[in-house]
Amino acid sequence: MPLTHRGREILSRVPGGTLQSTVGVGCEIVRHEELCVGCGKCATNCPSGASERGAFFDVNQLLDAPADSRRGALGGALRRLMRHEPDGPVEVPERVTVYRTIIYDDERCLGCGTCVRGCPAEAIEARPPQADAAPEPAPVEVRA
Amino acid sequence: MAADRKIVAFCCRECAYAAADASANARTPLPPTVRLVLMPCTGRVSPLHLLSALAGGADGVMVAGCLLGQCHYREGNFNAVDRVAFVQRLLRSVGVEPERCQMFTMSAGEPPKFVAAVREMDRVIGGLPPLPRSEADGSRAAPLAAGAPRAAARGAA
Repeated sequence: MPLTHRGREILSRVPGGTLQSTVGVGCEIVRHEELCVGCGKCATNCPSGASERGAFFDVNQLLDAPADSRRGALGGALRRLMRHEPDGPVEVPERVTVYRTIIYDDERCLGCGTCVRGCPAEAIEARPPQADAAPEPAPVEVRA
Repeated sequence: MAADRKIVAFCCRECAYAAADASANARTPLPPTVRLVLMPCTGRVSPLHLLSALAGGADGVMVAGCLLGQCHYREGNFNAVDRVAFVQRLLRSVGVEPERCQMFTMSAGEPPKFVAAVREMDRVIGGLPPLPRSEADGSRAAPLAAGAPRAAARGAA
């Protein structure tokens, strides 16, 4: 996932151009959906509205969840019953709050890492941006 | 043959279980296939209860609660209605008949309605093909592998 344009823009105002080994603006946000517990804290905490709770739930999140988790137990039960692979995301009734897939929009993401700090399931990862900052042209080695 | 199938009925203590009690006092026979589970409120029923009952040997699960709007805890049965609908959608998406999970509502003073609901459920389940209850297959990542990204994330931090 590339650094967002807003991330790049913010990063260009940081002295030195990089933020090293700290969670800060301009980070690359990587979500591990199979670890997500659907609490929605990332959506509540997100300052830019890049994460939000959707109206659908991807059934594969249950099937891929770690076996020792609550979602994994549900996925294990479902796996014993299923006749075929899930058809696709299911629409979630209004009062079911936890089993929702978070919609993450990386165009609106600032890369601030607030969602990472708030995530109780450690399902979101923030990677420091320097690896992805605008690639400099490789110095041409001139041989004498 | 009829006793082969199993139906688990999650009953609300305030109404459905009381109705079941009253029907037993009146010596109305219930289908021998049904197993009652006492719940404090149908709002306590989670998708995990319903699915693990199905995976663990039940052919059908029913949730029996109060009439909508008459929940002892105000809106527990509204939550149950939505959870049952969610489980039905989950089942449908993996090719299992959604009729295997149903919600019924009745008041404590309606034992015949409870008996009718159980008989209806028994009749519906009796008409369905048996569930393909497989051992967990190996088509998905093993539990440890699924947890690996978490360990990797910790290692990187």
